[in-house]
Amino acid sequence: MDILASTRLAFALLFSGDAELWTIIWISLRVSLIALAVATPPAVVLGYALAHKRFPGRRILVVLIQGLLSFPTVVVGLILYILLTRQGPLGSWQLLFTQEAMIMGQAVIAFPVLAAFALAAVQGADPRAHETAVSLGASPLRAALTTLLEVRFAVVAGVFNGFGRVISEVGCAMMVGGNIAGVTRNIPTAIALETSKGDFAQGIALGVVLMLFALGISITLGLLQGRGGLK
Amino acid sequence: MSVLLSFRHLRKTFGERKLLDLDPFVIGEGEAYVITGDNGSGKTTLLRILAGLEPGEIAGFEYRGLPLTHGRLPEDVRHDIVYVHQHPYLFHTTVVHNIGYGLAARGIDGAERERLVEEAVAWAGMNHLRGVPPAKLSGGEKQRVALARARVLKPHLFLLDEPTANLDGEARGQAIALIRQLVQDNGSLLIACHDRELIELPGMRRFHLENGKLDEV
Repeated sequence: MDILASTRLAFALLFSGDAELWTIIWISLRVSLIALAVATPPAVVLGYALAHKRFPGRRILVVLIQGLLSFPTVVVGLILYILLTRQGPLGSWQLLFTQEAMIMGQAVIAFPVLAAFALAAVQGADPRAHETAVSLGASPLRAALTTLLEVRFAVVAGVFNGFGRVISEVGCAMMVGGNIAGVTRNIPTAIALETSKGDFAQGIALGVVLMLFALGISITLGLLQGRGGLK
Repeated sequence: MSVLLSFRHLRKTFGERKLLDLDPFVIGEGEAYVITGDNGSGKTTLLRILAGLEPGEIAGFEYRGLPLTHGRLPEDVRHDIVYVHQHPYLFHTTVVHNIGYGLAARGIDGAERERLVEEAVAWAGMNHLRGVPPAKLSGGEKQRVALARARVLKPHLFLLDEPTANLDGEARGQAIALIRQLVQDNGSLLIACHDRELIELPGMRRFHLENGKLDEV
């Protein structure tokens, strides 16, 4: 294997507008961004409720979310596969090996990250923010939104972290997506496939894209930390 | 004097410790009260309980003759009472947004809100600070924004917690001048404080809180 030649070819692929490569990148972005859009609202609501309300089972839910942060993505894929397979309880939906199945999987994977960040953000919020909103006549919903706005940088940091987790996960995407070219093949599954075939150029090119995403996320998080002290 | 808010008995305990054990107390419409007492005597807690921000046992709690269940103040009563923290919290937006927040919460929008906010900004002498991020304001400026933010809502009762604490010189004088205007405008105020000048404002009824009991002095 000539690493130098493969790397040169990788950059040539990236900058030549190779359709197959850019389709893979597009599928990755589309699936991950939709998954985040689906998971973020309920996760933030749950994170807020766990931080702000006292109710039976709250401690268990907090421990569960913290535990799910490191839940193996391949097991999420396995559970989803069992549910979506033709003989499974959701088999009639015919979603196995589709982007929708990948979105479901990634939403499940991102959910605990988003909820944990929202929980930590609201717990770290100045309690006077909510009290001030209430005292000025805000409804419970408005007071909640105000509190979340006050800690928006920390909540958004959770979204970026969730994106970092789902854009690079391979286990679930492989199991429920099936790695079908042009349909469900995303960056991580394509890297796994191309590497196993010995085609390092495309693997390296996609790896560069993933690293650029990671770098972009790190820079954005750094900027957010600088702006709001993560509040 | 018509009664704005009253209770027959108010109690607050922390474990074994009884912080407040108050006998009947009445706040009259358009009257100003100052509560003095040592640190930890329960002044802030009393204000927070009346604002509905903290639980407490209250018997015979009434607002304008309407019996209240503490912890679940009706919306119109919540809109009538504004509590201002010792160190006011300003939302991370602008001075103008902060002052207009309560108006927006009451559904007052557009030109009417703009007019009321402008009036409040001028009242507090904050014209030159209108677009400044609150994080850049001094303690005295924050207190003035908080007073303007409360006054713009025309509440029937202001609950002010140590409004001049940690302020000195000009900032303290400006805050006292605004509070003096609230008193002169016949606002009902309940102020917890140690500040001699505030305590001696004309028209102020003075109470002292000690060992959980409130006595007029």
